[in-house]
Amino acid sequence: MVLTVQEIGKCFGQQMVLQGVALSVAERQTLSVLGRSGCGKTTLLKIIAGLIAPDSGTVRLHGAEITKKPTEQRNVVYLYQEPLLFPHLTVFENIAFGLRLRRLPNNDLTHRTTRMLEHLELQAHAKKFPHQLSGGQKQRTAFGRAIIIAPDVLLLDEPFSSLDPETRASMQHLFKQLAQEYGIASLFVTHDLKEAILMGDSIGYMEAGKLTTFASRQEFINHPDYGARNEIEFWSSLRQQATNHDHAATV
Amino acid sequence: MSSKSNLDRAGFLLFLLLAILPMAAGLLYAASYSVGLAGLLSEGFTWEYWGRPFQEGNQIFASFAFSLGVALAATAITLLVALLLVLTVRRSLDSGLLAHLSTIPLALPGTVLAFVILQWCSGSGIAARAAYALGLLQTPAQFPGIVNDQYGVGIIIAQVMVGVPFFALLFTQLWHSQRISQLMELAQTIGATRAQRAMRVAVPLLLHRAFPTVMLHLVAVIGVYEVPLLLGVQSPQMISVLTMRNYAMFDLQQKPEAFICAILYTLLSLLLIAIAWRRMHRMDHEQSA
Repeated sequence: MVLTVQEIGKCFGQQMVLQGVALSVAERQTLSVLGRSGCGKTTLLKIIAGLIAPDSGTVRLHGAEITKKPTEQRNVVYLYQEPLLFPHLTVFENIAFGLRLRRLPNNDLTHRTTRMLEHLELQAHAKKFPHQLSGGQKQRTAFGRAIIIAPDVLLLDEPFSSLDPETRASMQHLFKQLAQEYGIASLFVTHDLKEAILMGDSIGYMEAGKLTTFASRQEFINHPDYGARNEIEFWSSLRQQATNHDHAATV
Repeated sequence: MSSKSNLDRAGFLLFLLLAILPMAAGLLYAASYSVGLAGLLSEGFTWEYWGRPFQEGNQIFASFAFSLGVALAATAITLLVALLLVLTVRRSLDSGLLAHLSTIPLALPGTVLAFVILQWCSGSGIAARAAYALGLLQTPAQFPGIVNDQYGVGIIIAQVMVGVPFFALLFTQLWHSQRISQLMELAQTIGATRAQRAMRVAVPLLLHRAFPTVMLHLVAVIGVYEVPLLLGVQSPQMISVLTMRNYAMFDLQQKPEAFICAILYTLLSLLLIAIAWRRMHRMDHEQSA
């Protein structure tokens, strides 16, 4: 397993935010964590990233405990809901940011960043600043900036929530493609049922600080408590109705 | 026409009447005086006065260079200290005692501030006497001359004392509006150490956003009057002091030079303000995107 989280607990004052949370993410796999706003998803991601210290429990990366390791030494990148690009840097410099921190030789840095720009179809925008980009382009830049340093785990906190449906769909597709290509393990947090099913190789459901994980998508879909089956049936019946209507119109 | 646009038009006219017209009239008078078209000794159009700054021994350009040097040094030190404060004690600057205390120097008039520095830092000041009493000096006169000195150290200290709280407050506000905490966290997960986060995210971003204000601060320091009057030396003088000296002299032949100084200072200020405006316009565009 790349990432293993065991018995994580966290309180803010009197409020218990996380309680005995456990999960694991295998190599090249994405675990979707579905849950309503305020259920503790973001706190969980920030604990894994090292931005918040847990009250109890452990976080392991490739078997080694990293619970107390400084954030900058974990190689776990956290992506916010918004792209949060550095406004004073161009697209090229935003993507190259992590490589500059690692003091890569200039040739290598330029080569790798240019390749990433091509991959993300952002070559034409390399010299632009974030305010000159569309929402989708910003999000692609944010992905590029995260992936270029080959993180062990990528933590995504509802990264597509601010995008329109069309851009959202294309970004979901792009993310799956990049995750496969670069072999990245990821934890994808969302409150959107469809997105959770679409993005995750396995799925977890979080409610009031407790996480229930399912080994496969099918297991989650078949579970009666989470409404996935109802959702699928609703869309299937709608499609059936539309097909019948088209057939009747043709006749 | 709506009442709002009437109000806008009235406001613009008032601004034109009270701010722009008197200034334009003053500049026109200064320009006329500097070419011999106005004043008691006016003898008709001449470029003679404009040739004076280029004559040997004339202090105008030396004074400009000194003013610019003092302003650049004071602004650079101010920014450095304010950035250090924001990076180290930002939470205290947000609220609490330090937040209130830091605004006190902003309320001090320049003259008072200059006297405070004179009392503390002059050869016969408190610091010199204390050093003498502690046996660090043989005589108080050995105390390094940091007021009324030829490098303008006293003037720089005074400007830094006023500038630091102002920029610390500005940077604290920018820290929130530019979401620098979140950008720093993000940089941290990408692998940035504390120093890298400061140098690659916070500092460039704060300076980028504060640039127009920095330019306006520079203009203000170049033109400051009371502080260099009390803490400066006879030569070189800050441009404001030199202008006033030339203007108030009994020798009326010096008056055109005062107007030349004023015109040159106005042109320099307008240039710096234009640069600030350009950047502000660009930032408005960035914010609205």
